[in-house]
Amino acid sequence: MADAFDISDEQQDYSQYGLEANPFPYSPVPAEDPEIYCGQQHVSEKISSTVSTMLSTGKSKHLVITGKYGNGKSHTLKYTRSLLRDRDDVVVGYVAQPGEGFLDIYHEFVYDLGFNRVQELAYEYLASVARDVTDANPISASAMKSLIDEGEILLSEIVPEAVRRLSDVTHFADFARAIVHMVYEDTNLYAWQWLTAEGIRYEQRKEMEIHSALDDDTMGVRAFTAFKNMLLELGYTGVFVFVDEFESIARLSPKNEQATLNSIRHLMDQNSSGLCMLFGCAPEVWQDVMSEYHAFSERIGEEVALKPLTNEHLNDLVLDYLSRERNGPTEASSIDPFTNEALDVILQRSQGNVRQALAICSRVLDSAIEENREQVTPEFVQESM
Amino acid sequence: MLYRQRKLDLPHGELDTPVLFPVRNVGKRSSDNTPKYVGTIPEFSAAMINARSIRNRDPMWNRLTNGVTLREEMDVPEETIIFADSGGFDFSEQEIDTTPKKTIKTQRKLDSDIHGTIDIPLSRENRAAENQRRIDRSIEFALEASDLHTGDALLFASVHGYDPETIRNNIQYLENHGDFDGYALGSMVPIRTDYKKVTKLVLAARNATEKHLHVYGLGGLVYQPLLLYLGVDSFDSSAFIRSAGNRNYLIPGFGGEELHNIEDLDRLPCPCPICGQRSLEDIREDRTALTQHNLWALATELRRFKYIAESDRDVENYLDLRFQGNEVTKRAYETAKQQVRRLT
Ligand SMILES: [Zn+2]
Repeated sequence: MADAFDISDEQQDYSQYGLEANPFPYSPVPAEDPEIYCGQQHVSEKISSTVSTMLSTGKSKHLVITGKYGNGKSHTLKYTRSLLRDRDDVVVGYVAQPGEGFLDIYHEFVYDLGFNRVQELAYEYLASVARDVTDANPISASAMKSLIDEGEILLSEIVPEAVRRLSDVTHFADFARAIVHMVYEDTNLYAWQWLTAEGIRYEQRKEMEIHSALDDDTMGVRAFTAFKNMLLELGYTGVFVFVDEFESIARLSPKNEQATLNSIRHLMDQNSSGLCMLFGCAPEVWQDVMSEYHAFSERIGEEVALKPLTNEHLNDLVLDYLSRERNGPTEASSIDPFTNEALDVILQRSQGNVRQALAICSRVLDSAIEENREQVTPEFVQESM
Repeated sequence: MLYRQRKLDLPHGELDTPVLFPVRNVGKRSSDNTPKYVGTIPEFSAAMINARSIRNRDPMWNRLTNGVTLREEMDVPEETIIFADSGGFDFSEQEIDTTPKKTIKTQRKLDSDIHGTIDIPLSRENRAAENQRRIDRSIEFALEASDLHTGDALLFASVHGYDPETIRNNIQYLENHGDFDGYALGSMVPIRTDYKKVTKLVLAARNATEKHLHVYGLGGLVYQPLLLYLGVDSFDSSAFIRSAGNRNYLIPGFGGEELHNIEDLDRLPCPCPICGQRSLEDIREDRTALTQHNLWALATELRRFKYIAESDRDVENYLDLRFQGNEVTKRAYETAKQQVRRLT
């Protein structure tokens, strides 16, 4: 039996194809921060225009990206997120799936931003207040933090003012207190739990003078709106919310599904500026939503569909992936060791599904190395499947 | 362990720290009901007094402005060390009726060795916004006092806050903007049963400054070893008087025992100069004796700790033992231990 396994950490040598490594993802799960996007041009154009409208006008705009399972919805959303995350004038949150209702979307969104980011925003807010009411001129969260630590600014001078102003901006005093409590080591975990709608005990709320519980969709919408308004006040252009696998709302009871859609509608109505929501959704579920919930679909209005891959798409996709690892003598524009005909077979086998196509490419390339093939031919693809 | 020993050079002599300032009621009542202890308990040649109460008691104040010294008024030797606090604790209920100028003038007149700046205590019941305002005022008062302060006496800034950031922030701010010889942590009394919180706040203060650190109002039997362990340089207590008023007999290492709980003993477990020669019955009848014994109990607690620290014994083992009897204080000490170990 011992011979049945051949486990080794020795790296495969891909140099015979002019490659540093196998460029294709082994796992069919899209990378958290995809480096390349080989999606479809009409989709990237539509996303670009939606995103750009919000960035340039500040007005809210939303978009649904439909596509069958494996056609690259998540990849598209994650790639868009990775582009936007580099901008320092927006805040981006990714929600892997809508869960049981809007409160879950809100929770995932805040969670995706993370404790540190939210704490940073709290310091940014204190900094904006400190610039107004003190002689100091903190320009960043970390500058604010060190001014407090070094005793250049008195907390008791700016905190009441920060709570007052943030309450005005957000119309939500409890939210304001929770944000400010993010900077206190004794209470920041409670504040975080409240802000993420995880629920905290009454005594912990009392310690922060927070009166309400953030525990239903209505409060979730209120908190999200408060959060967005705080960001606009801080000079951010807006907030992006990416909701993936939106089709899973179909498994909710009709009542809960309706409630979720209504909450999102309210959210959009209350945020006519500074909000861009991108949904990834299976086409059939989106069709149902469109036909049954006009009030909702009217507000989204725009839809773009990811189609199955064509020969040309697959060609581009494979080329893009290969070029990431190219080092050798092979021309950068070549799909070597794959032949065009081999890609045709891969396209057929994957039925135009991006995820499957990439997985096949990865496996076939490894087999080709093992068997020392010069080229990946259609026959070899068939064999190694 | 953060325990430390230092020497303060004061107008009326040197003072070895850590030290307890017994609180004297002088000014609070028509006559000071504190029994004589200076000269009988060697390490207690110091007292904490309330500048505002003395200033507000006209007959006494008249005598003091007519040449009687505070120490004469208190019937203690001239070399007695006096820490005069501002009497801020009274402002938890009342409006503030003094100014830094008035306070420091009074403290000078009293010839105190240490002046505490005006402190406006926080309250658990107050809204956070109100407490923030109070914190802010205390800081303002401290800085004014710093500007007015001259002379040989030391000036301790009173600091308040119910969270570590505020304590650190206040001390750092005062370091940057004023000139103080030490800091005194106030507002601990309303939260004294929350040992964990108090411990955290004391540590925050201890870490924010190398200078002298005093903690107001927590010098009783249980807090004393905890504060010593946390590196506090001085504290004050009126526990010996209050306990005696309630017929509460303080026992080092244990805490308090209400005397009506023990009936059939001939003698109390303490060998101090008060209890050593007298019967239980005798002491039960004599409130002054009870007060004096209670002071001896505080002195014993302090002596024990110093002995443990000075000998080769392990202070943490001693404290494990010291706190094992009470779940609440034991947990507080465990938390303190973890935090202290991270710091040392
Ligand atoms: Zn005794």
